[in-house]
Amino acid sequence: MFHWLEKNPFFFAVGVFVVIAFAGLIEILPNFAEASRPVVNLKPYTVLEMAGKNIYKNENCITCHSQLIRPFKSETDRYGQVSLSGEYVYDRPFLWGSRRIGPDLHRVGNYRSTDWHENHMLDPKSVVPQSIMPAYPYMFTKTTDIDTAYAEALTVKKVFATPYDAPNGTKLGTLDEGRAAALEEAKAIAADMKNKDVKDAVARGEIPQIVALIAYLNRLK
Amino acid sequence: MNSLMVKALAFSATLMIATVVVVKYMNVDLSDPVNYITILGAAAIAFLTFGVAAKYINQMKTDKSTGELANESWDGIGEYKNEMPAGWAYSFLGTIIWGVWYWLSGYPLNAFSQIGQYNEEIKAYNIKFEATHANADAATLRDMGESVFLVQCAPCHGETGDGMSGKAHDLTSRIGKDQVLDVIKNGSNQLGFAMGAMPPMLAQGADAEAIATYVAGGMQGTAPAAFSACVACHGADGKGNNGMAPNLATYDETLVSNVLEHGKKGAIGAMPSFNTRLTPVQEKALATYIQTIKG
Repeated sequence: MFHWLEKNPFFFAVGVFVVIAFAGLIEILPNFAEASRPVVNLKPYTVLEMAGKNIYKNENCITCHSQLIRPFKSETDRYGQVSLSGEYVYDRPFLWGSRRIGPDLHRVGNYRSTDWHENHMLDPKSVVPQSIMPAYPYMFTKTTDIDTAYAEALTVKKVFATPYDAPNGTKLGTLDEGRAAALEEAKAIAADMKNKDVKDAVARGEIPQIVALIAYLNRLK
Repeated sequence: MNSLMVKALAFSATLMIATVVVVKYMNVDLSDPVNYITILGAAAIAFLTFGVAAKYINQMKTDKSTGELANESWDGIGEYKNEMPAGWAYSFLGTIIWGVWYWLSGYPLNAFSQIGQYNEEIKAYNIKFEATHANADAATLRDMGESVFLVQCAPCHGETGDGMSGKAHDLTSRIGKDQVLDVIKNGSNQLGFAMGAMPPMLAQGADAEAIATYVAGGMQGTAPAAFSACVACHGADGKGNNGMAPNLATYDETLVSNVLEHGKKGAIGAMPSFNTRLTPVQEKALATYIQTIKG
């Protein structure tokens, strides 16, 4: 049999590939299956949070902010508990990032509040004097694209079976229900904000980008 | 002695000379046994290089191959069907046995975890930290409190602790008039003090104003009559009856650790809970530091 293989390099190569691939699968698959399950109590993004995540991607926050806390004391002292892979299962794509020009944001919702984000996004230097982060004043006037976020949520629900509308989970419902739920959530956040234009816009039924972004940042816990 | 042998000897000699040169001119510390072992290793490599070369050069001259030829001929090159040397065969069997042991008990798939190693490091560090700072003096606590403050608190309260013109609570004084009025109006049950909830509207109108002015002013002079509504819980001196209720006069340890544990939502905005993010010693240090920044 092996003499035959020695005379047939193609099948020899196939045999080598099969053996190495099998060993690789045994090493990789169990760990991967274990690590890619959602952590307990992790819920899919609400429509407003999803919209905020889209703004985060749009503004390329990932260029300067990571979302991955490594298991070192210096990191966990500053940013909180070590990140687990099961926490990213509803992130498509995940936003780990690779540069920390600004701080890690994976648990920013634990130690910053809505009103702090409001001050900081409007003028970072007003709260952190040495900050090199740019200001994002236009987020207070531009309106959030809720429909795209709803479409994304619906897509991941249908294509990847993300557990929307599960008992005790995140409700998605129809487009109108999704819009209404996003507005409700936005009202709760705007109530904690000071900016009058933002409050007025939300009262009119429009959701400024800053509200969606804060919803997303508050969810990062 | 043929030219091959001369080359092998020259190569080994070069290795030896290189070793000697390194030891002589590169300040190798011979009192360190590791360096001694390394030098011996280098010398052994030089000798072995020559030995192995000599063996094979001789073998090339004298050896005659024997044994049965395999059937295949690859472009005229044949292959003997010799037995595998016994040493090789036993080592091969040995590696299989070792592999089974390694797989099942020597180093199973889940024996090492990065998180486990991290947890052990943190545990060891915390034990050391608690032991070192169990009875820290005031100056150490103040310095520790300052570093904790600059990392954890300064982003909201400002580096000087002044709350950055009303963006957060001003830690240079105890409490502002608006904040007192807000608490009197809405009550408070956030901080987990033993005294429990403070009901809303214990005082109204001018009484509330008088209390707010008195408390925000640092409780100087005589208390207004309306302050009697506060005395039952906060004490006549406003110091919170030894940690039963919030201290209105200064930031004591109980107040700081309760706010850190529960977070707070008040007239200015929300402060998140810092539960489990700081150790008890750090909280104590923070209280010490916050008392020193009184403006």
